[in-house]
Order: sequence, then C-alpha cells, then structure tokens
Amino acid sequence: MALVRKIISQSTVDGPGNRVAVFLQGCNIRCAYCHNPETQALQDAEAKEMSVEEVLAEVRKGIPFIRGITVSGGECMLQAEFVTALFQAVKQLAQETGHPLSCLIDSNGTIPFARYPELMTVCDGVMLDIKAWDSEVYHRLTISKDNETVKENLQWLLQKDKLTEVRIVCLPEKVDVETILQNIAKTFDFIGKKAPVRLLRFRPHGVVGELAQCPMPTDEQMDSYLSQAQALGVKAEVR
Amino acid sequence: MADIYSIVTSQQLSYEQKVVALAHAAEDTLSVIPMPERTRFYFEKGAICNLNEGNAPYRPRYIMPDYEKAVKQGVKFLELDPPQDFDELLTFLQVLYRHVPSITTYPVFLGDLDKLIEPFIKDLSDEEVKRKLRNFFIYLDRTITDSFCHANLGPEATRAGRLILDVDRELEQAVPNLTLKYDPSVTPDDFAEQAIYTSLCVANPAICNDVLNARTYDRYGISSCYNILPIAGGSYTLTRLVLPRLAALTESKEEFLTKLLPEAMQCMADYMSARIRFIVEDVHFFESHFLATEGFIERDRFVAMFGLVGLAEAANKFAPAGKKYGSDEEADSVAEQIMDTITAFVNAYECPYCAIANHRLLLHAQVGIDTDFGITSGIRIPVGDEPESIYDHLRHSSRFHRYIPTGCSDILPFDITGKKNPAAVLDIIKGAFSLGQKYIAFYASDSDLVRITGYLVKRSEIEKWNSGKAVLQNTTQLGAPTYASAHLANRKVRGV
Repeated sequence: MALVRKIISQSTVDGPGNRVAVFLQGCNIRCAYCHNPETQALQDAEAKEMSVEEVLAEVRKGIPFIRGITVSGGECMLQAEFVTALFQAVKQLAQETGHPLSCLIDSNGTIPFARYPELMTVCDGVMLDIKAWDSEVYHRLTISKDNETVKENLQWLLQKDKLTEVRIVCLPEKVDVETILQNIAKTFDFIGKKAPVRLLRFRPHGVVGELAQCPMPTDEQMDSYLSQAQALGVKAEVR
Repeated sequence: MADIYSIVTSQQLSYEQKVVALAHAAEDTLSVIPMPERTRFYFEKGAICNLNEGNAPYRPRYIMPDYEKAVKQGVKFLELDPPQDFDELLTFLQVLYRHVPSITTYPVFLGDLDKLIEPFIKDLSDEEVKRKLRNFFIYLDRTITDSFCHANLGPEATRAGRLILDVDRELEQAVPNLTLKYDPSVTPDDFAEQAIYTSLCVANPAICNDVLNARTYDRYGISSCYNILPIAGGSYTLTRLVLPRLAALTESKEEFLTKLLPEAMQCMADYMSARIRFIVEDVHFFESHFLATEGFIERDRFVAMFGLVGLAEAANKFAPAGKKYGSDEEADSVAEQIMDTITAFVNAYECPYCAIANHRLLLHAQVGIDTDFGITSGIRIPVGDEPESIYDHLRHSSRFHRYIPTGCSDILPFDITGKKNPAAVLDIIKGAFSLGQKYIAFYASDSDLVRITGYLVKRSEIEKWNSGKAVLQNTTQLGAPTYASAHLANRKVRGV
C-alpha cells in the first residue's frame, strides 16, 4: 500500500510523451518553492491509501494512449518498496497487453538509488531534481543540510544509464543555477549523454511562504540560463 | 425571378459570388431528377437533404485529379507542357487548379503536395523554396476563397513536407486545408510531431489514419472537409440522411428502424442513382471534360457518398430517458442498431457507375450545414456531452468510425500546454488510431484559426463578419453562424 495524493491520467509535463502521473504523499526536504506543498506532510486527510492493483487500474485505462507511467511526489522514494511493486506490475501489464510502458521516477535524489537494485531493474529512468549545488544554498531552500547524496545519485544514475533528465527550478538569487550548470558540465561525464537538463521556470502558483512573493523569471533570464548551458556544452531546454 | 433580381442587386455578395449564385439559380429552373411522392415527402420533412447540390448536376461534386500524372505528361487542353523546374511546377498547378470543377466551383483537392513538389526542389535552398511556397500559398488562399479545399502530406517524411509545414505555420491561412496521412511504421515521430506542433499553432494539418483509410481504395486522397476519395476519381454526389428529422416522424424505435429508415434510404439511394445517371448519361461529363479525356480522372473511379448526420440525437431519442450517446451504453447500442440497419441497406443496394466501390453507395459522416440546429455532425458526440476522459471519447469514436469509409472525424481543442509536448499528443493519436479511430483534427484553445466542422475559419474573420463587414472567404459566412449555433466555443478543451 502507498499513500497517494493524486493520479493524473494524462500528463505531458512528467517525462517524455503522454503519461499517467502518480503523486505520492510525503516529502523529506520540503522545498520553499514547492508548487504543491500539500503533498509534503507524511500524513494528510486528502491522501488515499491505495494498493498496487488500484493504481494499476488507472494505468490500464490509459492503454493504448500512454507511453508509460511516472511516479512523483512528495518524494516517492520514501515509499520505494511500493514503487518497486508498482513498476513490476506495470511491466507485467505491458507484457500482457503488448503495449510497451516505460516506468520513470521523479525524485529529489536524497535517497540512494543504489540501495534499491530490484527497483532499478524495472525503472527505466529517473528525472532528478538538482535543487542547488552549494550546500548552503540547498539548506536555505530545503529543510535538509546535505545534498551530497543528490550528487552521488547523479553520478550513479549516469553510470547506470538511468538518468532521463536533470531538472533545475530556476529562481534568480535563490538558486545557484550557474553553479549547477558549471558543475554538471565539469564534474560529471555529463556532456554527450542523452539526458537533457530541463530548466524549469519558477512559478509562484501554489507556493506557500516567503517565496510566494518572488516573481517568475523573465524570458530574458531563462534565455540567459539556456545560453550558459549551451556555452558549457550541456543539452538544455526551457520549460 | 425575384430570386435572380435579388442576387443581381445584392450588396452582400461579391461579384464572383453573384456569378455562382446566378448559375445555381439557372440550374434550379430545370427538374430533371425524378422526385417520386415519398421522396418528395422526406425532402419536405428535411429528412433527406441534397445540400443544395442543384437540380441538374453538370459535374461531379468532388473531383480528385491525378496531379502526378498531369505533371508527368502535361495537359493538352490547357496547353501546358510538363514542368521542368520549381517555378514552372507552381505555375502549372496554379493554372490546372483553376480548371478543376467542383460543387464549390473551386478545386476541393490540390493533390499530395509534398510528393508533387519534392522532385523539383533538390537544387534549391530551404529559404528559396519557402519564399516561393509562401507566394504560392498566398495565391491559393486569396483566389480559392472557400476553405473546402484540401492538400495532402505524408505518410513519408520529405523535405518538401517539412517546408510546407513551416510555411503553413508562418502564414496562418484558412486555405489550403492540410491533412497528414499518418502511418506509425512509415511516418517518423519527429515529422508527425512537427505536424502536430503546427496544428497546435494554426489548427492545420489534421491527421489521417493512413493504415485504415488506405484500405478503402488502391489510391486515396483527402478532399474538402475530410472526404476519403479515390485519386483519379472522386464523388458524383453527397446526399444526406438527417437522422433527427427522420426520427421526429415517429415515437417508436421499431417503426423507425423497420419502416421509416428503410423507406427513406431507398428514396435517397434512388435519388442519388438518378443524379449519377444524369451526370454520366445526359451531361456526358466523362466524354467531354479534359480531365477525363486526357486520363486524369476515370469514371470508374468515382463513388457516391451516402451521408448521414445527427446519429447522436436520433440515438438519444430512442434510448431510455436521460441516457446519452457518448456516455451511456444504452444510447450507444441504439446508435449501433441504426448504423447496422444503414450498413445492411447500402451493402445490398446496387448503384450505377460506381465500379471502384463495387457498385455500392459509401457511407459518409456528413459534418452539417449552417442551417442545422440541434443536429450534431455525422456520428460525433454533441458538444457538451463529451465524456470526461479523452480516452473514453476516442474509444467511442473508434467504435463508430468503423462504419464510415468516405470520411468521419473528431475535432478536439487542446489546452495550449500541448504545444510544449507534441509527442504527448502523438501518443494519444497513436493510441486512437490503433483502436480504429480514422481521422483527427485539433487546435489549441487560443488559436485564431479554428475548425468549424471540418473546414478552417479565423475567429477574427467571424467577428468581422458578425459586425457586418465583408469577408473574403465564403466559408467564413458559413462558419460564423455554425460556430454560434453548434456552440463550438463550448467544445470540451482537452488538457495535455
């Protein structure tokens, strides 16, 4: 069983193509710019206990219109056993129906994927959120002090060819976007890999707390991040 | 004669529109198509409708010339030699289009434009090709002032196809209507995605299920709204059965299915056969028109479209109270009974001069006209009754599209976020096509160009027309009332 916040049967923003997106309840880092803070609490009256079979029923309805499933959150890796069982069931369903389904994870990378080999055999890729590079910046944005595990995950996923994309929420002055880009480009063997960096524009919609007052970055700011990425040889897209 | 006087003195009609209206008035002074009493009865009740096709048809309604052949061999009647370069090709096509007859007096089919163009652009840069294409498209839009006019692309990706899409997106015009023939095993994803992106910008092209529609004839094209017809052929006529008006004649489903429907279909089929005979035997169209005498069309490649409209309302009438076509099995199964009855009739009825269709009338989901009120296009789900889930909507379409060989479609407005992920829209199309959906058109909810029932109109032009100003496109005049009366602004917008 897992605590599920909501299921979107037709999502175009949670990975490539049209997907069923499953949002699990509960997060361990509680980003200040989170646009769905209602998913942060580990328990919430609005969330629903669901079995693998119940979630699978939603996936079944999407065949043959979907390319796969994305599990997001909250932080879905807090319920990694459930995600493993769900992905195994989805792969089984794909086999039964002859309709291929990819299984993706959208994660903040605070829990080491290396610890879940069974999950990683049925998971086709991870969309990894790099909130910040500098641990001070990271700590100002989240309730966590340490982003070393995120960096280790980035390295590990690259080596295992399980990185679907890197996501950076761009919020000028609050997020060290340039530093992330520079470090991705130089520290890791990132360039030339197929995973793109998705530069997500911060949107105040849904945000609770002081960052709710921050304006959306302008087109010029987003373009400038994009050109920095390109200058570093990093494949990037603005969304 | 009062009619003719009002045409001549009208200030609302352009010069060209007057000429067409006068020709129509002259044609209607004849009565050469037999109108037996029961046929007349169904016409008067509006249950059979000839779409104002005229009382003495002197050309087939839709003509699909074999342009590839014309380009290869030239056209003697028009004193056109085979074109040798891109400029010559575009001039050749402009001249030929001008001489293709149809019900609208404008060509309804412009050919597989990408395939026609591709061999002529090898030595030209993208920019040169696009500059010439832009002029060509502007010429088409401003002289074919009726958007029941269609050019085809695909299923193969070509450089010409990509450049046509680029130009189409830049120009944002109602003419030509474009359709991409899509076959997942032939059409690369990136080309299909470019087409979808273009469509989310300018409501064009529509996407046609090539795998299923290619089975209809040896060579097919899409013309007018979304008519699936043989290339080098076409359709003599399109007459339609207005199911809700026929249903209005009885309260009994039994009587509807066993008495009214068979009788009305017999009347309509005989009427269509008489029209076909007149074109072939009295007008001698195929013995006299250069398209036929030079081999760009053949009589044996013409079909006749047996149209139907308002399946939803007819099904709802005879379904248990409150059950709706599109959401409730009780209504859908009534619709299926109606379709099975119609299919059985057309499969048994022999019509003249339709060799390519095995001498059978072919069903067509007619889109409706501006004077239809409370009648939904063809076999579509009424605006406002669409299922909550787009997947259920498309599953429903697949179930009913299987009945219709000569054209049926769904039109879906998408949320503008779709523009950022055309691959997601392609996934949905792939799914729908794999289930049997045959043709899909869509536009973004913020697009100026919208699809009315199959043809394209600009919302800004509708506003101009509604405010009493003259507009260039005939179809704006049709589209403006239909956009309002069919509540098209309320179509369910699909979020992607």
